[in-house]
Amino acid sequence: MDYIWQWNQIWDYRQVFVRGMQVTVILTCWALLIGMVLGLGLGLMRSSRLLVLRLPAAIYIDIFRATPILVQLVWIYYALPILSGVQMGNIASASVGIGLHAAAYIAEIFRAGIASIDRGQSDAAKSLGMGYGQAMRRIILPQAIRRMVPPFINEFATLMKLTTLGSVLAVNELLHEAENLINNTYRPLETYTAVAVLFGLMIYPFIWLSQRLEQRWKVRG
Amino acid sequence: MSDAPIIRVQGLHKSFGKLEVLRGLDFEVKRGEVLAIIGPSGSGKSTLLRCLNFLEEYQAGEVRFDDQLVGYRRSGAGKLKLDSENNVRRIRARMGMVFQSFNLFPHKTVLENVMEGPLVVQRVSRTEAEQRGRTLLQRVGLIDKIGAYPAQLSGGQQQRAAIARALAMQPDAMLFDEPTSALDPELVGEVLEVMQSLAAEGMTMVVVTHEMGFARQVADRVMVMDRGEIIELAPPAQVFGAPKSPRTAEFLRRVLH
Repeated sequence: MDYIWQWNQIWDYRQVFVRGMQVTVILTCWALLIGMVLGLGLGLMRSSRLLVLRLPAAIYIDIFRATPILVQLVWIYYALPILSGVQMGNIASASVGIGLHAAAYIAEIFRAGIASIDRGQSDAAKSLGMGYGQAMRRIILPQAIRRMVPPFINEFATLMKLTTLGSVLAVNELLHEAENLINNTYRPLETYTAVAVLFGLMIYPFIWLSQRLEQRWKVRG
Repeated sequence: MSDAPIIRVQGLHKSFGKLEVLRGLDFEVKRGEVLAIIGPSGSGKSTLLRCLNFLEEYQAGEVRFDDQLVGYRRSGAGKLKLDSENNVRRIRARMGMVFQSFNLFPHKTVLENVMEGPLVVQRVSRTEAEQRGRTLLQRVGLIDKIGAYPAQLSGGQQQRAAIARALAMQPDAMLFDEPTSALDPELVGEVLEVMQSLAAEGMTMVVVTHEMGFARQVADRVMVMDRGEIIELAPPAQVFGAPKSPRTAEFLRRVLH
């Protein structure tokens, strides 16, 4: 155990890490946006009384949860262009792929959150004459979102870590940049350790925030 | 116009799957009348109430509110079709409803709860909604709880706030679904008092209740339900004094002793 850590090389290449983190953040933001919008839609469809809405959402969610995300990414990057003629760049492919995947999980968070609200709440909203949209927006979702914060932050952390899969599509996110760096420096231990620490630094604040919010909202039930 | 019944129910049938909960009900509620609905649990009282403002769909018969069919409309061929959400909402907005479990919105203050309907459904100004809210909360004795959240109130206070919330829509009728059943005994009185004053003002009320005292003293007529049927519908003196049906007598014997 007399490995000699050499951090100075990592420091010399800090620009590479910054560049990688930027791409990681961009990938996370796009994937999150796609995942949230699609996930909310799918979650509402999944909660619907109408089979024509519920069934497609259920099939989508099951397919994306039952197949590996790595396969989904590769499929979108390599197979989709052949089938549809739509060729996206590697960052776009990775964003869309991770976003579509996350949507399935986010939909389940929305569905469970909505289902957790007592039926009396929507009864009360309806009895005042509110429509479905008003009741959702003003009564159900504001309450449901509080309960969804912990699983949602959890999903966000998962999603940010999943962006490392972009490296298989040669997206220059943090892990991919780090692997390239190792080919020059031959310092895998330091490099991978730095990658882990950087991910931790990016993700931990959100975990902390979720715990704080949970504490604060507990007061008002 | 004032003599026409505001609620008219004809041949109402309602099933949950194979279970028939309402088996052909006929009755009317006149404007300004207080109708109490009593009967053993599982007799379909709450389901009936929920059919009146279409929180439950019914399968046969008609519910009419102010002569308008509730929940359905006749298509060109004379067949019944589900009515549009907008029409259902319009009718619901004219009937206030009070629930056993209060169902106040927990993320809103008492005043916000009361303002919600006027603001969102009737789109009145914030000033107007707030003024209505304050007046009503004053009336139900909660003016000092205006900024409180429902979780900070007792059950009796929550139910009074819920009554104010329903009244804020200035409804033509009020539906009460066992409004005191979830309350500690010492809190029942304050809610009944509010309801009694409403009745005295001439509000049309349909009240599903286990409070026989309220049914006897405040109601104009009492409906006794059992197994999805109306077994008696008469003024309280007759229902409590000289019930025609042995099933009514049996039920009253059990609840009054």
